[in-house]
Amino acid sequence: MSNNPFENQSIKKERLFFLVLVVCVVFVIFTGYLFSMQITRWMEYQNQAWAVARRTSEAPALRGEIYDRNYDTPLASNVDSFAVSIVPAETDRQNLPQIISALASILGTEAQTLMNKIPQADVFQAIELKDNVSYGQVVQIASNIEDFPGISWSSKPVRHYNHTASLSHIIGYVGNINPEELHLLYNKGYAANSIIGKNGIEKEYDLILKGTPGLKSITVDAKGRNVQEERYIKAPVPGKNIVLTIDRRIQELCEKALGERMGSVVVLKPATGEILAMVSYPSYDTNRFYTPDSASYYRTLLENGNHPFLNRCIQSANAPASVFKTIMMTASLEENAFPPDKKIDCTGKLVLGDRTFNCHQKSGHGPLNLSDALMESCDVYFWELGGNHLGPKKIEQYSRMMGLGEKTGVDLPGEVAGLVPSPEWKLERINELWVGGDTYNMSIGQGYTQVTTLQIADLIAMIVNEGTIYTPHLLKEVRDVVTGEVVEERTPRILHKADISSHTFHELKKAMRRVVAEGSIRRLFNNKVVEVAGKTGTGEVGYTDRWTSWFASFGPYQAQNPEDQVVVVVMIEASNEWEWWAPKASNAIYQGIFANQSYEEVVKTLDIWYLNNGTDVIRRRSE
Amino acid sequence: MNSRKSFLTFDFIIILAILCLSVISVCFIYSSGLNSDGVNTSFEFIKQIIWIVTGLGLMTLVIVFDYKYFYDFAYYIYGICIFMLIITLLVGNKVNGARSWLGLPGVGIQPSEFTKLGTIIALSAFCAKNRNNIRSIVVFLRAALIPALPMVLILAQPDLGTSLVYIPIFLVILFMAGTKIRYLFFLVACGIGVILFTIIPMWSGYVLKQETFVVTIFSNQLLMLAILGACLLVVILSAIGWFAFKKGIYYWICYSFVIISVSLFVAMLAQKILKDYQIMRLVVFLDPDVDPQGAGWNILQSLTAIGSGGLFGKGFLKGTQSHYHYLPQQSNDFIFSIIAEEIGFFGSMVVFLCFFIILIRGFIIAYSSKDSFGSYICFGIIAMFFFHFVVNIGMAMGIMPITGIPLLFLSYGGSSLWTSMMAAGILINIYYRRYGFKI
Repeated sequence: MSNNPFENQSIKKERLFFLVLVVCVVFVIFTGYLFSMQITRWMEYQNQAWAVARRTSEAPALRGEIYDRNYDTPLASNVDSFAVSIVPAETDRQNLPQIISALASILGTEAQTLMNKIPQADVFQAIELKDNVSYGQVVQIASNIEDFPGISWSSKPVRHYNHTASLSHIIGYVGNINPEELHLLYNKGYAANSIIGKNGIEKEYDLILKGTPGLKSITVDAKGRNVQEERYIKAPVPGKNIVLTIDRRIQELCEKALGERMGSVVVLKPATGEILAMVSYPSYDTNRFYTPDSASYYRTLLENGNHPFLNRCIQSANAPASVFKTIMMTASLEENAFPPDKKIDCTGKLVLGDRTFNCHQKSGHGPLNLSDALMESCDVYFWELGGNHLGPKKIEQYSRMMGLGEKTGVDLPGEVAGLVPSPEWKLERINELWVGGDTYNMSIGQGYTQVTTLQIADLIAMIVNEGTIYTPHLLKEVRDVVTGEVVEERTPRILHKADISSHTFHELKKAMRRVVAEGSIRRLFNNKVVEVAGKTGTGEVGYTDRWTSWFASFGPYQAQNPEDQVVVVVMIEASNEWEWWAPKASNAIYQGIFANQSYEEVVKTLDIWYLNNGTDVIRRRSE
Repeated sequence: MNSRKSFLTFDFIIILAILCLSVISVCFIYSSGLNSDGVNTSFEFIKQIIWIVTGLGLMTLVIVFDYKYFYDFAYYIYGICIFMLIITLLVGNKVNGARSWLGLPGVGIQPSEFTKLGTIIALSAFCAKNRNNIRSIVVFLRAALIPALPMVLILAQPDLGTSLVYIPIFLVILFMAGTKIRYLFFLVACGIGVILFTIIPMWSGYVLKQETFVVTIFSNQLLMLAILGACLLVVILSAIGWFAFKKGIYYWICYSFVIISVSLFVAMLAQKILKDYQIMRLVVFLDPDVDPQGAGWNILQSLTAIGSGGLFGKGFLKGTQSHYHYLPQQSNDFIFSIIAEEIGFFGSMVVFLCFFIILIRGFIIAYSSKDSFGSYICFGIIAMFFFHFVVNIGMAMGIMPITGIPLLFLSYGGSSLWTSMMAAGILINIYYRRYGFKI
């Protein structure tokens, strides 16, 4: 019996014949079936294809509106407008240039830009030529429709923002999707003519706001004119309304309190993480993006050296300056690094090797304990504390524990993380060894440490909550556009939970209260409605007569209900004329929030003497 | 060496058919990348060109070595394939829900495609070696293990469609190797039984939309178990009968009831294992109008695309169904729909003809092969080509359920293209080394 696999094969002819037969039969069946589909029943399928392709067009979904927490009048809404389209298969190819140039003159645009949008293929799909077309322009086209074969129009609302200024950074704006975005988002229901959020809430929550476009069939007469009836094959699903945590009144108050100074303000509810106000100056007017001169306006903004597109609350980081001393105090108490009641004598300077560090009060503060040092913001005390008792490791550890050096996770695009330095970081990034001077700088919030305004607001929130930071957020709830029903509610989420004793926070709060009640700013804080506790900061950025001005605070100092407390952080950049504005603005903001007054009323009530001539009253660097 | 081995002994007809399909493939993958504005949004067609060129290189490489080396290395090749499948299961990437990719998506490979060839070679080698006792049940069962292993590994990815290809490969090779018809019939009958028992309750539930007794039976776990138990009892009794009386009637009763029991059991398992989307695919195959906006959408759009193509089609790049993106998965699973829409019945016949030529040439090569090993490989390859053709085009025309397996030579995708090219290379190799025609 041979077992050689390479001996002559002997396949059974019947079996081979059977297989060939099967193949042939299947081919005959498939050919027959294809014949019946493409030849016999061709008309049936052809009508089906035309029914879908020719007479349907996309029915855009209305974009959801954006409200502030009061949910009364929208901050962002839609206004009626039209889009003009062409169906290439129905137009007159020979006279196309004349048709388009006539159309361009009505629409007030270049004929060439319109021509570029028309494909060579005779497709039945309507191609959008221009949006943001007014009713008047549409009437002009409609009355001469004989001259415009294949041209049609449809309603395409444009976005309108009822409040711009400081809200522009939060809400953002929308625009036509660009090829890169389409490439990334193709699978999420976007098409080439989609409108997409480009910045802020409009971008962050685009999927909620945009809705789902539908399909509509249009009955057209033989000449392709006169839209008689529109019927939805698939009704568009409108986007959902978004309600922000922002309080329009507080936002306006903060905007005016900041005035025309480069800087930022954050008002936060520490009990939930809700952001009540978020102001960054300079800002821009989003409505101008929907006007004919939008391109030049956009360019002006981009070229502006003050970077109006930057949301200074989350997208730029600065040295925290003396605000950082709150972290130092926490670390000292928690680690028992130095007895809180033991005094250190400030002589106005501290010598380290061949360098002399000067306290901001050159004459010296005299002997101070920990609480006094925070109140007076004595640099010498904290240098001693940081340099000789805590060390960079512990300072870094507590900075991170209290939320620095990491994004807050706020629901806006483009947030930066800031920076908490460490000896390893310095060696790796700057390739230099960490020296004692670095620890000194770090101890008073100078040097490499970088924080955003929102991170400082979170730091104060942790102190108020005694160890917990709730993720700061702007989304309060999502509501159905028709019924107004709440479909989704943002519940507080914990961002950080630090293992720090409540005794530490009590001591810290007491000291922060002393800063406002007994410290150098006590005369500024003249509002009677609320007891505030806080910490100032004056950052060196290289000018001799100007500094960044921080004031990070909360109030009321003692509250029965934690829901009543707010955190207010004001940061004024050094590029402004020095007027020690952060605590002053904060004073006005607290008065406005708790006395329920507008900024104008606040000015009257407080009789703020420092408002216009403040610069000559306090012109010394004082904390 | 053979003196007849000249330039002309190459099978140029098959190469011509493949080149023709390749050109069509690139054209329509390009067409599928166009959007409604006529702008190309995809570079798939360029990648496909690269794969075709490299695929032709691989084909040449496969032709160069005498296929008798495949025999020597059959189990090594098979072993490497299985190893790759296991690696894929462990560290592969998920694409469309199946862990079937090795490497990065887009530049990675799908080992399950290449394993088909490895399995064909191993199975052919096994059958050629055991050709003298091929009718033995033991040989049959051992042969069955060869495709069963990759099938299980591919099912685990999970990729039902690709794993099914191994069934016709096994059936055809064993059939031509001369195994007993009743073994093969047993498998075929079980398959039909499973399909029937899975589909009947769905059909009655979704399409007729009424609670018939069939649904009651199939949805009641206990009742099903009772029926299964009864069938097994019949099996045991008839088996005893056959051993006791040696009457043919008992053998056939036992044979039938084993089929019924296995079908019932697998159908019960299938109802548990099949995912919702797979069940919906089966349901919409029975009646696409059950869910025209959802699961039935693909079928309805594909039917409309094909049907509206007519005799000569709407013209290259002028399909309406495809360019408005009514049709999903255009460049791979539904490539035939675009072809049929844009170049019509006429163009589709060109595609049919190319495949028919490849298959018929395959039969001729199998018949003219000098040895069994070569001809078994040919039959395995024929089975693979044919199955892909029937299932993919059948799916596009709505006469097969959607399984998502590519149309060889035409669909976009490197692994399946390389596999088909190498398979064709093997056919040419065997033809090239035939030592003369035997008619």
